[in-house]
Amino acid sequence: MKGILLWLDRVAVMTLKELKQLSRDPILLVVIGYFFTADIYIAGAGISIDLKNAPIAVIDRDHSAASRELIYRFQPPYFNFQQELESNRQAVRLLDEGRVLAVIDIPEHFQRDLLAGRQVAVQMQVDASNATLGTLATTYAARIVARFGMELAERGMGPVQLQALPVVEDRQRVYYNPNQADTWFMSISELITVITMLSLMLPAAAAVREKERGTIEQLAVSPLSPTQILLPKVLAMGLAVMGGVAAALFLIIEPVFHVPIKGSIPLFFLATALYVFASSGLGLFIATLSRNLGQVVMLVLLIMMPMLLLSGAWTPPEAMPTLLCEAMHLSPLFYLTEMSYAILLKGAGMEILWKQMLQLALLGCVVFAFGVWRFRRQFG
Amino acid sequence: MNLRRTWAVAWKEWREVMRDRLFFAMAFVVPSMILLVLGYGLSLDVENIPFAAIDQDKSALSRDYLHRFIDSRYFDYRGEARDEQELDRLLAASRIRFAIIIPPRFEERLLAGRPVAVQSLIDGIFPYRTQVSKGYVAAINADFSTTLLVDYLARKQGMSEAQARRRIEPVRLETRYLYNQAIRSTWSMSAGLIMLVLMVSPPFLTALGVVRERENGSIYNIYASTVSRGEFILGKLLPYVFISAINIFVLWAFVVWLFGAPFKGDPIFFYLASLVYVICTAGIGLLVSLMVRTQAAAALLTLVITFIPALLYSGLLVPVESMSADARFQAHLFPTLYYLQIVWGSFLKGLGWSVLWGNVLALMLYAVVLWSIGFLSFHKRPRQ
Repeated sequence: MKGILLWLDRVAVMTLKELKQLSRDPILLVVIGYFFTADIYIAGAGISIDLKNAPIAVIDRDHSAASRELIYRFQPPYFNFQQELESNRQAVRLLDEGRVLAVIDIPEHFQRDLLAGRQVAVQMQVDASNATLGTLATTYAARIVARFGMELAERGMGPVQLQALPVVEDRQRVYYNPNQADTWFMSISELITVITMLSLMLPAAAAVREKERGTIEQLAVSPLSPTQILLPKVLAMGLAVMGGVAAALFLIIEPVFHVPIKGSIPLFFLATALYVFASSGLGLFIATLSRNLGQVVMLVLLIMMPMLLLSGAWTPPEAMPTLLCEAMHLSPLFYLTEMSYAILLKGAGMEILWKQMLQLALLGCVVFAFGVWRFRRQFG
Repeated sequence: MNLRRTWAVAWKEWREVMRDRLFFAMAFVVPSMILLVLGYGLSLDVENIPFAAIDQDKSALSRDYLHRFIDSRYFDYRGEARDEQELDRLLAASRIRFAIIIPPRFEERLLAGRPVAVQSLIDGIFPYRTQVSKGYVAAINADFSTTLLVDYLARKQGMSEAQARRRIEPVRLETRYLYNQAIRSTWSMSAGLIMLVLMVSPPFLTALGVVRERENGSIYNIYASTVSRGEFILGKLLPYVFISAINIFVLWAFVVWLFGAPFKGDPIFFYLASLVYVICTAGIGLLVSLMVRTQAAAALLTLVITFIPALLYSGLLVPVESMSADARFQAHLFPTLYYLQIVWGSFLKGLGWSVLWGNVLALMLYAVVLWSIGFLSFHKRPRQ
């Protein structure tokens, strides 16, 4: 009993020491605060991967009512009509300079051919140097042109109404994020990235700083065991990260982005805590490999990048090649990503997530034990 | 400015970096790693969307319709569900991302010339993928409808099939993709990521290098020496610019050989422009190093001010024109926007000096401003 109390007391004292040390680097604190608030805000607010106001130009060789009507349909939100061009040379120059995303070329006799019931081809040149946008632009343009054609056909058919034609209509319902607010997705994914980076970097930096300054020798001759030296670092930095997560959730994600937090918040914190524990273990492993902070930073990046790729934070598992999909189960971040979206957006509870929770906890214990083992070998 | 002293500082720094084998190796490995991971990870092709279906009609036509989804490489069929509750459960567990419910009397109504509404359920967690999935569904539906209509008109009004098709689709859109005919997103992404990697890695190296001296206290040797601040800054940064200059080659090789992107532009122009960009971003690292005292803070601050602008405000994922007015303004404040145009221009469009000289000028201006601020705010007599 006395032994346990002493053990706990030592860990508490060391944790306090780590927290004090952290609080004495004001710039680091400001940066951590920035990551959990402003950074998440910027990532969530600024960006949506969709085509909006794409600048386009038109070569109108017909100058008829029909051609003008077609051009008129290329409007915001997707397109933004910039100017009419005279020649293809001009078009190529604008596309080269990246001033327009696409140029639409309406042929001569456009209206005459349409009235005569002939099929007309309208050309579009798309800048596909950004493949994603090129594809989106084509999709939207095809939709606009198809609608234009459909309405022409309807007029031609006279009394027959489109209502009564055999077509398949879309009834689409989007689950969990009905308006597809990018802010919901981006803010959560950025939060996960920030947690990963800090929970790898901070414990590793705290451990290596002792090495770099030589204070590790003092600790080694003290009555502390390696676990008593390392666990407080993880606890202190974990507390800092969890505080940051709370700030991000209650200052940015919920009030500013209006993410409907459907699941239980304590459950989310539990998942995050397990994850922080696991990735701090990785951080300690990094600390045993490196002699100075420069090396720590480099190794953190080296480990973080594949973790992010294999986490499903950008690409869901089903979009991965099979081999990588299997590898994902080794990345602790994979479990956090799955659980975060499931808890925050889908409202999943323990009855669905217990298995992932258990896997993450086990993975965390293994990784942490590995980190301590490496450390013990180095300083035992 | 004494060149010999500058050289001495540079040589000392170079040897220090060389002796830290792990750091030296990482200075080359990490940039390539970022390129590889993001190059594969951010390629936004949406394929193999797992989906399930409920066919309440079970007719020849409904099976035909369903097969348009099953046979598409964009969708990955995971079987038929019993009822809507099962679909909900599968969606909640992320086992499927998309579901389709074909109503009863699907065939009967369509053959009678009446419209049918088909319900699709889409997981909205990944908004971009949702958007693209919706597009695929709309395209398949439109295509199926056209076939039905052509059939219907041919039967009802006695037209030939070609006539009916012309009637329904009077205007065709012919698309030509310039610069990237096969619209491979790995080409765009991997080339564009050179911009991101060279935005992040040179500042990392420089900031860590300068702050290390400060954290270890070895900077007092510099303060006490005859080395002037200009000589110190230039000498200190030179090795890191040199490493990054080599990294330009490495990254270029990865993009061309591994990702298979074409390089159509002028290599000398591209290299010189990249060098200016690297000098410019190394200047960002210099500024960071002047603001912080510990290496941990330097690393995090560098990440903050380089990664997000490079990823989100450069035009890599979202075109500048699509941003809100103030985001667009911010985008023009970072050098990434100008350099990304140089990268895509050189790799995919085959452009050179004649079009892109303005961008190089903007980068030079940046470099001059950043280095001047760095020079002016570095003091050998720090006020503590």
